[in-house]
Amino acid sequence: MRNFFKILKFEYLTCVKNKAFIIITVFLVCGSLLFSLIPGIITAVVSDENAADKEKTKIIAVTKSSYSDDLVKNELSVYYPDKEVKIITEDRNTIEKKVDDDEYAFAIDINSPVSFVYITKNNSIYNMDENLIMNAVQKIYTITQFEKSGMSEKDIKSILDTGFFSETVTTGTDQTKNYLPVYLLMCVLFVAITSYGQLVTQSVVSEKNTRAMELLITCAKPAELMFGKVIGAGLAGLSQLAVIFLSLSCSMKFAPVDAIPEEIRDFINFTPDTLLMALLFFLLGYFIYAFLLGALASFASKSEDLNGLTTPVLFVMMGVYFIVVFICSGDIIDSTAMTVLSYIPLSAPMAMFVRATLADIPFWEVIISVALQIITIYLFGILAAAIYKIGVLMYGNPPKPAEIIKMLKKNKGS
Amino acid sequence: MKIEVKDITKKFGDKEVLKGISFETESGKAQGLLGRNGAGKTTTIRIIMGVFYQDTGEILIDGKKINREKVKIGYLPEERGLYPKKHISEQLIYFGMLRGLSKQQAREACSKWLDRMDMTKYKDKKLETLSKGNQQKIQLAATLLCDPQLVILDEPFSGLDPVNAMLLKDVIMEMIQSGAAVIFSSHQMNYIEEFCSDICILNGGKIALSGNIFDIKHSYPRNTINIYAHKPDDVSSFIIRSFADKIEAADIDSKNACVIVKLKNEADKDELMLRLLNQKLDLDGFNVKEPSLNDIFVEYAEGGI
Repeated sequence: MRNFFKILKFEYLTCVKNKAFIIITVFLVCGSLLFSLIPGIITAVVSDENAADKEKTKIIAVTKSSYSDDLVKNELSVYYPDKEVKIITEDRNTIEKKVDDDEYAFAIDINSPVSFVYITKNNSIYNMDENLIMNAVQKIYTITQFEKSGMSEKDIKSILDTGFFSETVTTGTDQTKNYLPVYLLMCVLFVAITSYGQLVTQSVVSEKNTRAMELLITCAKPAELMFGKVIGAGLAGLSQLAVIFLSLSCSMKFAPVDAIPEEIRDFINFTPDTLLMALLFFLLGYFIYAFLLGALASFASKSEDLNGLTTPVLFVMMGVYFIVVFICSGDIIDSTAMTVLSYIPLSAPMAMFVRATLADIPFWEVIISVALQIITIYLFGILAAAIYKIGVLMYGNPPKPAEIIKMLKKNKGS
Repeated sequence: MKIEVKDITKKFGDKEVLKGISFETESGKAQGLLGRNGAGKTTTIRIIMGVFYQDTGEILIDGKKINREKVKIGYLPEERGLYPKKHISEQLIYFGMLRGLSKQQAREACSKWLDRMDMTKYKDKKLETLSKGNQQKIQLAATLLCDPQLVILDEPFSGLDPVNAMLLKDVIMEMIQSGAAVIFSSHQMNYIEEFCSDICILNGGKIALSGNIFDIKHSYPRNTINIYAHKPDDVSSFIIRSFADKIEAADIDSKNACVIVKLKNEADKDELMLRLLNQKLDLDGFNVKEPSLNDIFVEYAEGGI
């Protein structure tokens, strides 16, 4: 392997100096910076808007109803503490005109004890007013009914304001906490393995297309070339991920954490264990698929041939990804299917990553799965080098699988 | 160093492309591989380089099975190709290192060969920005970077203009003089004749003719003499008069001021030359007419494929 490190270095530098690679890295770094800064910006903008809102009209108009005016005012004020609730006796047209003229923030026409009309100038999918009013009216109705039955106001308040508390004790793995980060990392795993696998295929095809291949295979062994390419592109990918992750970590340190919505915080709340597992299974998955893709790419005469050759492998990857996502969403992570998938080398990088981080499984299962994947990588590496040697000098239509096996047997015998 | 190709055979599918190829060469000599397109030259070269494996036969270096990691080989493939989007010096250094040079040695060799090829000014340019001929020179530099003991050139002159062909010719001569063994294939017989002591004509995957060029030429009948003179008519008349019983023909080639004499017996050529000299016919020169390499090639290579 005297040339392995020379090829590795050359391939690594070729990848990281590639313009497209640099542009994507810069783009993703900027994206990660924006990701951490945008919530703060949005919060600032929203608070400005809220301040502006305060300047606007604060009157909520409610039509006179069978309910006590004070009760209506009190209960609505609970949900809208910064607004003034005004009981009106105007007709519907006047109310709608005043809402349209921004004289009222919105109006509520309580037309019976159990129904109301919410009148607003603009409505959006994020507008929660109708639900809040519903809660308030329901409470008004309940209090009124309790009062009619003779219960004191104090007792009614005491019943209605009682709060309930709960706590969950998890003896295994808490999927509710890990689910979102694992789901996100699984997406990253899929995209990273696919993208960096493409770096290998592009490298093989470009050397074949430019006819540099014949010179290369007389300078170095096919195994050196194949391993150098795959590991070089893999290291370039790792470097890119490291840069993005570091920039994200740094920017998160300076970002106002409170400004980031809880849902997003849940998504990026990676534990060190989860990250280490993601790194391990990224490496395993990358090598398994990169060797396969590299070997198949050696049969392509030009870039256009790549799609036809590599699509079956990419379909397998996508299939595995969707099955694992489906199993995760169905809450059957400990199912037999998932266990089997976590031992099959082509599906294990994703399936075992999910099981190891979301399910409570013995450590030896992870070890066996990793060992099987390492053995597969070694075998795929040797096979890929053998296929590469016969593929790189073949031009024209790619051979059928049976022909490849025949050629491999013949080459082995030589 | 002696390289021997022994009885190589090779099949692609059902087609037998090499049927027992054997030849040898050694340091300071050049072996020419001749043959029509598809005769098996490139396959033979690729087998020597280890790109393909032979079905039977062997490649020996000094009597031992070739170990390509231990022999410094410079290879110019028929399919030229380097990295078009990489800087020239960067890729030359890379190929030099792959051929076993240290980074420093590769840098020095890169400078030396770019200078020799008159390409130093392009060292920081991308290969794709160069003309085809200049790219070919860079390819040759990549071939010779490692100061090879064995130089294998597959159609080295194709695509070169006369000036660059002359440069390449000089470089190959230098390599031969410095003790490298050279194997090269070409359709251009003049170059083969200039460099090669030995040739091997392939026809339909078999060796149609091989050996030392001098010996091959001397194996042809040496009974045709070219006599150059200011007045070829006088020479012709004298020969017809004095050697009528010993010649088959004496034709005048007016264009070249030459009389072409075909003797019945080649042993009479010395006597013919001596008597012509004594006649004071204002001769310019004479020689035995030998077949050109082109004639030999056509004779042995036609109709084989």
